[in-house]
Order: sequence, then C-alpha cells, then structure tokens
Amino acid sequence: MPLDGPSTVVTRLTARRAVRSGAIWGGVFGLYVAASAAGYATTYPTPAARARLARTLGGNSGLAALLGPARRLDTVAGFTSWRTMGVLTVVGAIWAMLLAARLLRGEEEEGRWELLLSGRTTRGLAAAQAMAGLGAGLITLWAETATVAVWVGWSGKVHFSTAGSLFLATALMAGAAAFLAVGALTGQLAATRRQANGIAAGVLGVSFLIRMVADSSAQLAWLRWASPLGWAEELRPLTGSRPVALVPVVIWVAVLATTAFVLAAKRDLGASALPSRDAPPPHTGLLGSPAGLAVRLTGPVAIGWITGLAALGLVLGLVAQTAASAITGSASIEKAIRRLGGYRLGAASYLGVALVIAAALVAFAAAGQVAAARDEEAAGHLDHLLARPVSRTRWLAARLTIGAALVIAASVVTGLAAWVGAATQHSGLGLGQLVQAGLNMAPPALFVLGAGALVYGVWPRAATGATYALVAWSFLIELVASLVTTNRLLLDTSVLSHITPAPAANPDWTAAAWLTGLGVLGAAVGIIRFDRRDLAGA
Amino acid sequence: MDAISTEGLSKSFGKTEALVALNLRVPEGEVIGYLGPNGAGKTTTIRLLLGLITATAGHADLFGIDCQRQPVEAHRRLAYVPGEAALWPALTGEETLHLLGAVHGKMDARYRDVLIARFQLDPSKRVRAYSKGNRQKLILIGGLMTRADLLLLDEPTSGLDPLMEQAFRECVREARERGQTVFLSSHIMSEVEALCDRVAILRAGRLIEVGTMAELRHLSALSIELQFDGTPPDLSTVPGVSHVTVHGNRVRCQVTGPVEPLLDALAGRGVRHLLSREPSLEELFLAHYGATSPEESDAA
Repeated sequence: MPLDGPSTVVTRLTARRAVRSGAIWGGVFGLYVAASAAGYATTYPTPAARARLARTLGGNSGLAALLGPARRLDTVAGFTSWRTMGVLTVVGAIWAMLLAARLLRGEEEEGRWELLLSGRTTRGLAAAQAMAGLGAGLITLWAETATVAVWVGWSGKVHFSTAGSLFLATALMAGAAAFLAVGALTGQLAATRRQANGIAAGVLGVSFLIRMVADSSAQLAWLRWASPLGWAEELRPLTGSRPVALVPVVIWVAVLATTAFVLAAKRDLGASALPSRDAPPPHTGLLGSPAGLAVRLTGPVAIGWITGLAALGLVLGLVAQTAASAITGSASIEKAIRRLGGYRLGAASYLGVALVIAAALVAFAAAGQVAAARDEEAAGHLDHLLARPVSRTRWLAARLTIGAALVIAASVVTGLAAWVGAATQHSGLGLGQLVQAGLNMAPPALFVLGAGALVYGVWPRAATGATYALVAWSFLIELVASLVTTNRLLLDTSVLSHITPAPAANPDWTAAAWLTGLGVLGAAVGIIRFDRRDLAGA
Repeated sequence: MDAISTEGLSKSFGKTEALVALNLRVPEGEVIGYLGPNGAGKTTTIRLLLGLITATAGHADLFGIDCQRQPVEAHRRLAYVPGEAALWPALTGEETLHLLGAVHGKMDARYRDVLIARFQLDPSKRVRAYSKGNRQKLILIGGLMTRADLLLLDEPTSGLDPLMEQAFRECVREARERGQTVFLSSHIMSEVEALCDRVAILRAGRLIEVGTMAELRHLSALSIELQFDGTPPDLSTVPGVSHVTVHGNRVRCQVTGPVEPLLDALAGRGVRHLLSREPSLEELFLAHYGATSPEESDAA
C-alpha cells in the first residue's frame, strides 16, 4: 500500500476521529480498572472478608452467566480480572461496532467519501485505509488502559506484575477488536449506518447469549469457543493467562477485515452487499402531523430500548435471589445500600442497587431523545416542518412528550420484567412493589430530558454532547465514585443519586417530584428559548 | 396589499452582516427574481421571511402578517422550496408528500399527480434511494402542490436537468396565471430572465438594484459591433462610448445613454455592418460585480 501524501488521507481522517474516541474511552477503561482494583483492596482488606466474598459471589451461577465465571475472587487480581473483563469486554465491543459503522458506512452515507474517492484512491484501498485508522483508535484505547493498569499494579495494596497488567489491557481489547472487525464488515454489507449497527448488534447479542449459556453449565462450557466474547473470557488475565485464546481473535479479525476489504473493492460507492428495500409499501398512518412523524422516526429506537431494558429487568429479577446472598457477605455493600437509603435485604436489596444502573440506561435513552430532536434540526429536516404552519413551541413540546412517554414506558416495563423474573424464583417481591421500583427510575431520566431541552433551546450545537455528558458523569459517579468516596457534594452531582434504591426502600416520591418538576421547568424554559432563536444547521 | 414588504430588515451573525437594511415590496401576483452570488444574503432573506431565523433589526410582513412574530399564520399562505433537499431518508416519496401536505393543511391532490407526471418522479422509492435531482423534484412538488398564495423558492432548480428546468418554468407560468406571487432566488440568469416581472440584485447583503428587465437595461450600456470597409475611425473620443476594441476593420464598443453622438460620428465612414445588442441579464449582473465582460476578455 503506498504511503505517500494524498493516498493516506483516509487513514489520517479516520484515525483522527478514532483516536479521539479511543482516548475518551481509554480514560473510562482505565478508571474502571483502577476503581475495581482499588475498591476491592480497600473494601475487603482482610483475608477473611475476601474468602467470604469468594464463597458467595463465586458460587453464584446467575452472576457467572452475566459476567463470566469468577476465579480466585479472594485476590485483588482475581476480582479485578472478573469484574473488568465481565463489563468492559461488552462495553468495548459496543464502542467498537458503533465506531466502525460510523466511520465507514456513516461517512459514506453522508457523501463525504465521494470527495475522497474522487482523489487518488480506490474503494477497496480507502476501506483498508479507514480500517487502519480504526486500528489506531484501538491502539489508543489499549495504550491508555495499559498505562493505568501498570500504574495501579505497582501500588502496594494491588500488586500486579507489569506483564500481568499489560496482558489484562490486551485481554480487555479482545471484545473491541473482534467487534471493530464486525462493524467494518457490516458497514460493507448494509446500506445505512443504522442497518449496519442493527446487524452488528445482532452478532453481539448472539455472541453474548452463547457465552452466557456456556458459562451457566459445565457441560456446555466448550460453547465458549463459539463466541468472540467467550474467547475474551478464555484469555483469563491475571488468573493464569492463556494467550493461546488470542489466536481465534486474531483469525476472526483478519478474516472479517479481509472480507470487508474485498466487498468494498467490488461494490459501487453508496451501494451495499445486502439488498436494501428501496420501495416499501407506503405507511401514511402516522404521517398526518409533526408529532406522528416523530413517533414514526423514534419508534424503532424506542422498541429497541424497551426490549433491551425488559430483557435486563428479566435477568436481574432471575438472578436477584441468588445474588442477594452474595451481597449479605459484604459490610461495605450493605453500607452502600444504606447510603442510598435502602433498608430491606435479600433480593430487594440486590434489585435496589441493580435498578439504579438500569436507571442510568433509561437516562441514556432520554439523552438520545434530545439528540434526536437536535439531529432533526441539524440535518435540515426541521426546516420542512417549521416553514409550514407548525408552531415551534408545539413541535418541541410534542417531541419532548414523546421522549417522556418513552422514558416512563421503559421504566415501568423494566420493573414489570424484573417482577416476572423474580416471581419465577419465589423471591417474595410483589408486583406493585416492582412496578413502583420501575417507575422510580423515570425521574432522573425526565430531569435529563428537561435539562437537555434547556441546553437545546439556548445553545443547540452543545445539546447532544452536554446531555450525554450529564448521563455519563452520573453513571461514572454511581459506578466508581460511590466505591471510593463518601463526599456528599460530589455524589449529589449525579442525577441518579437522588432516587432511593427501590425496592430496597420505598420510592421517595418527594424527591421524584422535585426531579420531574425541575425537568419540566427546564423543558419549559428550553421551549420558550427555542421559539425565539435561530434554527442552527450542523 | 403587498405579498412581501420589508422595512430595514437586517441580520448579522456575530460581526458578519448577512443582510443590511433590506427594503423590498413585492405586490401580489408578481414574479420577482432575486439574484446574487453565493453568500450575498439570498438564503438569509428567505429564512428571515420564514421566521426560521430572527431579524437583528427591521420588520417583514407577508400579506400584512408580521412573519417574525406570527410565523404560523404567515406560513398558511406560503410554500417554501429550499435548494438543498434534506428530507427524511427512510420515508418514501409518497410518504413524504403525504406528510408535507398534511402538515401544510391544504393540498391540491389532482395538481400533485399532474406534477408527479410532469417531473417524471417515481414516488414509491425511499428518499435515500433518490438521486439529488429526484430529491429536488420531490421537494418542488411538495411546495407547488399546495397552490399557496406565495411561493418562496430558494434556488429551486439546482440539480435538475434542462428538461425538468422547462417543466419548472411551466409551473411558474401556471402560478402566475393563477395570481400566485413567486419569489425566485436563483443563480440561473436565463431562468430569471424568462420568468420574472422584476429583478432584485443583492451584493454582500445589500440590495443594489431593483427593477423590470427593461428598467435595468435602460441603466446599462448597449453593446455595439461594427465592421468597416476600410480602416476604422477613432471612436474613443465620442461622448458616451467606452470599452473600444479594434480588430483590423472590426470595432466593438459600448454606449451609455443616447446613441445619437455615435451615429453622427459614423456618418460617411463606410460602415459595412452594424450590430447592436441589449445586454443580457448575465452581462448586467456581471457588470454589477465588476467582472470582465465576455467582449473585454475576448479582446485581451
């Protein structure tokens, strides 16, 4: 491949964006590794506490199915490996598939590749160069994670070998690498970024399911070799590393990337390997008003969120009873539950903590609604509506109402699904109790929706970033800060720390009313400001 | 009542003055061309008239309705066609037209079908599968099918082939016959020349000329080409004559004001051939922007 000036422009353009994204997520990965190791070392200081944790968590089949089998949980290394691999492999895979689809198919869909390809490069070569750029993003993610892992490993309490830390960072990349290749391939198969993401998400879902089945029964453990997420698990960093499991990952990446390259070289620009349905039968039922249009456009996204959260609620409900016995072993987790305002123990206490994380996902869905409104404006679609007899106030109010309906529906469905799961395990949690616990997740998301609308009304170009940042910050605080600090002011900056961990405690409807009220206020100010500002393009 | 009437309408983006004190009146039923190079403020004007952006100063009425304060009322009487058709990629053409018609509230379904046939559009496809030209047809049909009293067209024919350009002209003529007002922002001089009653020319956010084609021509020079039997006389000293170029026995020049002094100067000088031509809109336009006219560049 020639590497002189103009022919590397695709690599550089892709690499710049991939590296920026990799740098941000490298920070998250590093923080999570550090918090897991340091959190464990301070929360379980004595061998006795560690042995008790290992007994309870290690024997929990529900958690093993969710996060993978735990090994040597009585050591910092074992816990850190289990916790970070279980969470970050999937996070990395999602990051990678979205990034690849965005920088390959997304760029092409927006027509930017037409400019590049009219220069001195061909389609196949451009795809190869873009994949090289994506690789740069992955290397950045690895470098940051490795740096933090090595640095944390040196600390006296943690004590990982440098080689062990480096292998942990490498193992944490396995999911991302595998799904970067999946995203690159689906970017060639599908005609749109959305369709590419859909196919890749399907591959990820199947991989996760196979791994989950493999981890839930010893007879089926061999199935692990049938899933990219299983290979990552077989790497076993810090707990008897097995670099041999890197072989299938490398082969997978090589095969998928080569296929993507061949497909890219063969097809026309803008075309896809899979046939796309360009002339579907018309459905005009919802297209009578701007609100109907918004329902239609946001429908697939809403169904995705609600289905995903229902599945999560079901799984949480299923594992609550067994997981609860693990929590009872840890004084600090009981303390954390009490800090959040919880007092019930057992399955209720587990669900109370777990549903706060689900609440973060509902808040992400709310941020997505703000982003969708902003996208309509930035893309110029909104001009067509607002140049017709459509009031701006009513349009934004309707758009936010649809967002709020999604938030409330997703929350209640999560609670319902958790009840179904818990009921099969006879955990003794009532339907009303869990529906309330579900509803309890809505107020932070409604606050996010309102805060996002406020930024949208005042400073539209910042709305998407600011709203996602608010949720991401809150999520990080819940995930990380609550393990290492009890500073009330810092914890209060998270929108999620203002709800009680229902069903471990009764929902605090006063706080919920405050969050919702502030959200409505923010939305109202945002709507008024939106009515008076210029429409702003991308 | 005027379809459009603006008073001191201005818009600044930070320190950039996109439109400066626009005073423009467009009577009902008129077809007006709005000319200017990229960045002159044409789109800014239309977005101000639509209330999509807020005016820094001044005032604009559409049919006596303040279009900045009461955009919804104003929009009931107009249709807008942008030059860049950013439509919902997942909707089909048919769905898009249904949506745009329903949102507008008023739509002539029979005329819509006429337009679909005239522009040879297949409305069953998704927007993302259309070419740029087909998307532009879709958005044109979406605007024209409303039969609105005022059509605000912002470079509506960008991406259309010459046949579709003819179809578009037919639509504007029909609109004029029905008494609709048309505000046509355009780059294409021949289009404006063929369709418009009046022309407004914008430069760097300022309106520099408004008038009928005849009025604009009156202000500007006449192009004259002469061929002599022998050596041409020196015409550069004749009052009103400028831009004189000589090629052997042929002379080209421009005349501003009365032609009489030139005719006097030519009497008995053996003129074999004389061609006088009014400047095209393109030449008028280029003259306003100080660009070299084709004659001058030929001579150079």
